[in-house]
Amino acid sequence: MRTPMSVLRLPRGPDPNSRGFDPDSPRFIALCSTTISSSTDTETDSVQIGEEQCARSMLRESFLRTLIAMTNKQVQFYMYERVKVNAVFVASDIDVLNFQVSDLQTPIGVQKEALLRCQDVILYSFDL
Amino acid sequence: MAMRQTPLTCSGHTRPVVDLAFSGITPYGYFLISACKDGKPMLRQGDTGDWIGTFLGHKGAVWGATLNNDATKAATAAADFTAKVWDAVSGDEVLTLSHKHIVKSVNFTLDSKHLLTGGNDKMLRIFDMIKPDAEPQEIAGHSGAIKKALWCNNDKHILSAADDRTVRLWDRSSAEVVKSLSFEASVSSMEYMPEEEILVVTYGKTISFFNALSLDLIKTVDAPASIHSASLHPDKDFFVAGGDDFKIYKYDYSTKEELESYKGHFGPVHCVRFSPDGELYASGSEDGTLRLWQTVVGKTYGLWKCVLPEELISDICDASYPATTELKA
Repeated sequence: MRTPMSVLRLPRGPDPNSRGFDPDSPRFIALCSTTISSSTDTETDSVQIGEEQCARSMLRESFLRTLIAMTNKQVQFYMYERVKVNAVFVASDIDVLNFQVSDLQTPIGVQKEALLRCQDVILYSFDL
Repeated sequence: MAMRQTPLTCSGHTRPVVDLAFSGITPYGYFLISACKDGKPMLRQGDTGDWIGTFLGHKGAVWGATLNNDATKAATAAADFTAKVWDAVSGDEVLTLSHKHIVKSVNFTLDSKHLLTGGNDKMLRIFDMIKPDAEPQEIAGHSGAIKKALWCNNDKHILSAADDRTVRLWDRSSAEVVKSLSFEASVSSMEYMPEEEILVVTYGKTISFFNALSLDLIKTVDAPASIHSASLHPDKDFFVAGGDDFKIYKYDYSTKEELESYKGHFGPVHCVRFSPDGELYASGSEDGTLRLWQTVVGKTYGLWKCVLPEELISDICDASYPATTELKA
């Protein structure tokens, strides 16, 4: 009867809350160039990168605030294949891949709870 | 004292794992990408199986996945009629390449500047990564869905395997067939070893080895069950194979003798690959898991630790990681 090979631990599984690619890992820090792709093509000095980053931060913050403002409001979603649906926005996932909505009005009835795939949404609008 | 193999199970996928690929050896180790029918290919640290990230974006089953040599880019082929290129460090999607049918196979050139794709529309395509909007170079000829398409001979040639039961060698510049091989059964998998210029092809219950430049047969081995995938060790000592009977077989390459067979998977094995350093091999199965297996059981490597009986007692006394002697699959 052979002794089974010992193992320190099992391989770590996926984190249920994120898609991974830890930005604090040594590989990420060493290899990830600035996410400002526009500035990698042209010779941009640090002042311009700084300005661009400020603009990006502002835009990101505005976007996140719109998600907060949208909560529990009626939103019209315009999607591919000429789909236009109304629903009450509940939440977005962290990577903005899915929107959780309630009372989704579809041509075949009202769906109490649903997930909308963000890739399928062209634009959405709501009243503040 | 001979040790019994303890495979490391990597969970996370929710559907069958249909393809996997290792990167080359990078300053940060080597990496493993797995293609899964759940549409969410995953990147893992190659020597431990630790999950690094999931590439999110495909809308259908992912049939093929590959990494470039330094694991900075990944490419995936999916049932949503697209091939996608990803930044393998940040996980971001970089490119989506539309096709006219399910894409099954993706492969980078050595300089990562071109991507070869193949799929159910029977066409090979070469995309320029610098000019992704340009029309890809198309190579027609196969009369069946392409299962696998690989660059070979320093990217001067292309090897493709299709459901028309042929493996074809193409000249990249002329886009013409140089040589064609016919098989009695559908080719289930193909692996190319650049250093040795060896092509490993599996079909039915057979694993065949060919010279990749001339497509001359080197040797053929028959397995007890239908084989879906095989991989040759970098030093050409062993090869491993897996298929319908859920087992992983290990053979001596020179003598063709079956050395070991391992049970562990709960479903047919779809893919097996040796790591670039040959110390382990990974298998992907219908059961939705990847398993890592040691090439030489008993060696301390990755998460495997060789613990001698005397060490075991002192380990229990002062270690933060208690050595486990029994692991249930």
